[in-house]
Amino acid sequence: MTRATFLERIRKEVARAPVAAGVSTAPRPPHPEAAAEAVRRQMAERWREALDSFVREFERVGGIFHRVADLAGVRPKILEIARGHEATALVAWDPASLGLDLASLASDGLAVTTATSDPDGDARRRHREDSARAQIGVTGADFVLAETGTLILLSGRGRSRVTSLLPDTHVAVFDRSRLVESLAQVGVLLEALHVDPARSMSGAMINFITGPSRTADIELTLTRGVHGPKTVHAIFVEAP
Amino acid sequence: MAARVEASLMITCLADTFFPEVGVATVRILRRLGVSVRFPEGQTCCGMPLFNSGYHDDAAAVAARTVDLFAGAEHVVVPSGSCAWMVKAEYPALLARDPRRHAAAVDLAARTRELSQFLREVLGADGASSPFAGKVTYHDSCHLLRGLGERSAPRALLQSVPGVDLVELPGADECCGFGGSFSVRLPEISAAILAKKLDNVERTGARCVVACDAGCLMQINGGLLRRRSAVKALHLAQVLAGEEKA
Amino acid sequence: MSETSLQTPFPKRAAAALDDRFLQQALTIATTKFVDMRREAFSGFPQGEALRDQARAIKEATLQKLDLYLEQLADNVERLGGHVHWAATGEEARETILALCRDRGVRMAVKSKSMATEEIDLNEALERAGVTPVETDLGEYIIQLAHEKPSHIIAPAIHKTKGQVAELISAVARRPLPADPEALTAAARVQLRQKFLEADMGITGANFAVADTGTVVLVTNEGNGRMVTSLPRIHVAVMGIEKVIPSMSDLVVFLAILARSATGQKLSSYTTLVRGPRQPGELEGPEEFHLILLDGGRSRQIAGALREALYCLRCGACLNVCPVYRQIGGHAYGYTYPGPIGILLTAMLKGDASVKDLAHASSLCGACKDVCPVRIDIPRMLIELREHVGREGIAPRSERAVFGTLRRLLLSSPAFRFATVAGRALQGPFARQGRLQKLPFLLSRWTRFRDLPPVAARTFHERWKDLK
Repeated sequence: MTRATFLERIRKEVARAPVAAGVSTAPRPPHPEAAAEAVRRQMAERWREALDSFVREFERVGGIFHRVADLAGVRPKILEIARGHEATALVAWDPASLGLDLASLASDGLAVTTATSDPDGDARRRHREDSARAQIGVTGADFVLAETGTLILLSGRGRSRVTSLLPDTHVAVFDRSRLVESLAQVGVLLEALHVDPARSMSGAMINFITGPSRTADIELTLTRGVHGPKTVHAIFVEAP
Repeated sequence: MAARVEASLMITCLADTFFPEVGVATVRILRRLGVSVRFPEGQTCCGMPLFNSGYHDDAAAVAARTVDLFAGAEHVVVPSGSCAWMVKAEYPALLARDPRRHAAAVDLAARTRELSQFLREVLGADGASSPFAGKVTYHDSCHLLRGLGERSAPRALLQSVPGVDLVELPGADECCGFGGSFSVRLPEISAAILAKKLDNVERTGARCVVACDAGCLMQINGGLLRRRSAVKALHLAQVLAGEEKA
Repeated sequence: MSETSLQTPFPKRAAAALDDRFLQQALTIATTKFVDMRREAFSGFPQGEALRDQARAIKEATLQKLDLYLEQLADNVERLGGHVHWAATGEEARETILALCRDRGVRMAVKSKSMATEEIDLNEALERAGVTPVETDLGEYIIQLAHEKPSHIIAPAIHKTKGQVAELISAVARRPLPADPEALTAAARVQLRQKFLEADMGITGANFAVADTGTVVLVTNEGNGRMVTSLPRIHVAVMGIEKVIPSMSDLVVFLAILARSATGQKLSSYTTLVRGPRQPGELEGPEEFHLILLDGGRSRQIAGALREALYCLRCGACLNVCPVYRQIGGHAYGYTYPGPIGILLTAMLKGDASVKDLAHASSLCGACKDVCPVRIDIPRMLIELREHVGREGIAPRSERAVFGTLRRLLLSSPAFRFATVAGRALQGPFARQGRLQKLPFLLSRWTRFRDLPPVAARTFHERWKDLK
């Protein structure tokens, strides 16, 4: 059916439907970017409370939380995690997105693949193969939602979608500037991101990740690591 | 001196025909509490069986008759959650096309209460004077619980009877499977739902299960008798009046 | 397949379910678990009630401008380089997808869980056209291997034992696997990982679509939703028109209550927001994105009696509390959507006549309305359906005769009295020890399972004389 006919049918039905009064859609921030800025300012004051909530919720959904003093502590922590999972290969977001360069982990016996920007067909294929082979995927986290223990990741240039999906273990690195307390605040941030999406996002996907992949489809028995990672680690960098 | 409370009894078709002792117990309790009880004769049914099966014009005719019969009643007391719900929640809309009766239905809805609600809200009464004794469990009938939002009044009344040991029924808020014509349209499903309820009842070790709805009682009692259970099913009124079914 | 199911009389389907002992056990365990988890999720969540009210209001407000929001959604999807298709019927939706497959040389499609694609019987159509559809949600994968339909909206394979699952997955693995959920999940992970990587097309539904941004939202736990929207070169999303919501501010209201209602989780493991095909510079993502907007009978209810059913979020909470669903499971309902909301959706999409029996598969207990995150008044609409079925003469004449008689009895006190006197007279031969245990005709349906009290020797009306 054509768009016009399809919509016309609906328009007709909408016109003759009785209208319940007093209902409205959710209120939207009139100036989303200003509202988002207000959230950030609020969180600058409340990041400690948010972090406590996040740790509690994250662990409740099976996440493993780590704390390091500064960026320099991230590399050894990742190595520790890798050794714990007997990993031989690692894939990561690019240094610009991650805030650190993990290439040097190669000297510790890990095969490291980093996401490239502007890949061609070959680069895409290779990246996919490397990601499927890697046991560990390291990403940042664009927002960290305390209320539910959720990591929110924007895809884009140098920020591969499958880094947090194909390997058995996902490690996300973040600092206090990423913490958000409530879903309602996330709504404000999402509104702000979409004011000018071409400017604020270089990718087409946003993933909310709450713990490892899971299912209870077989006799309602919970198992982890169905299609996505079996284990999720979060590394919090204390230094601002 | 406080004005005497007057209440008209809506007996319900099932209680009238199958469980008149529930009506007798209700009258006794109300009189004991100083209520002057009226009984508009000629009442038959609230019309819910017709309504639930989709015969709305017929249900409206019965509703109109009922509204007329109970005109002028100060309070209407119904020993059945589903019938009270029918009058309060459905009568006004059913009679929307008859302005005079619609107004009367709105008025009637406000003055109608299920028995336990009437006892607590209007009379502030309790069951202290009942001689009933024994371990008792309570089944929430769907229309009283979810329709009229009442979970505490029956329990409070039962607990106030000195001899009653009230144990909570697992799955008390789960349907007993009666559902009016559902019980005969889909009897196997109705019976399977009932079996779960009866297993829960027997598991409490209570000697009697109490409900505030004749439909539930027909279903639950019918099942208990069929499986020759030692447990009896009683209406709240019978416990409060201190009587038992033979 | 679903047509045939709907044609078998409902009581027969229900009887088969009642006889299935494993199904009975599985249903009790699964629904009890879901009910407990939902209760827990809402008990520590005081904002929950207000959010449910708000969610319902948003759905209602959206319906009031549905055409505008769909238009906005389409414009935004197209602006992102996506394609929008307007499918008035399931057949149009199927044809669109088949044409795409032909055109783009699609040989294998991986599917994330989508009730809408079940509704339009997409898998059979794909197979007939030589395209292999692979269900990747573990529960859907299991029933696909078993050639069955889902029996629950959230847990499609709850009617299967782990032994049965082991057989199915072992056949694919070509080696015997133990009846252990961990081992079977691990095997399925391997089997399906290959499919994700090789598939030409990924097909999903949509839990929501945000009009303001052109975003399709997928709520999953397994990760397959992310796989099928990141790895294959084409992504097709099939979406009922009622799934559109205005903005991201609306989205978070629904996210706050959806997973809690469905499984008791605060959020599902993955909530995936997809804005069209991949952007330049992205390493993965489809080259093409197609959004298929499906009407299939939904628009007819915008001004219809089943309008509220369009609010449905497909969470499955109503199934878990329904005394009838808990007894008979999903297959007995005979169509894509089971449980209380399923009866309404079947009527919406297949017509009133399709539910002449199903409309009565409810004791009207109201538990469904109690737990619905958007407070759909399902019992009210079931009664309305019964009224339509009656009015349109779909109900059998014998039934109308019985209720006609009832009407006459209830409108006349003398007639009512006469009926009780007649009952008393007729019941004599059937009364044993003060009970009626075996009655003829319609009443045998009662006495097959329960005793019936006899008509009282003196009705309350008769005893009132002494009480006056």
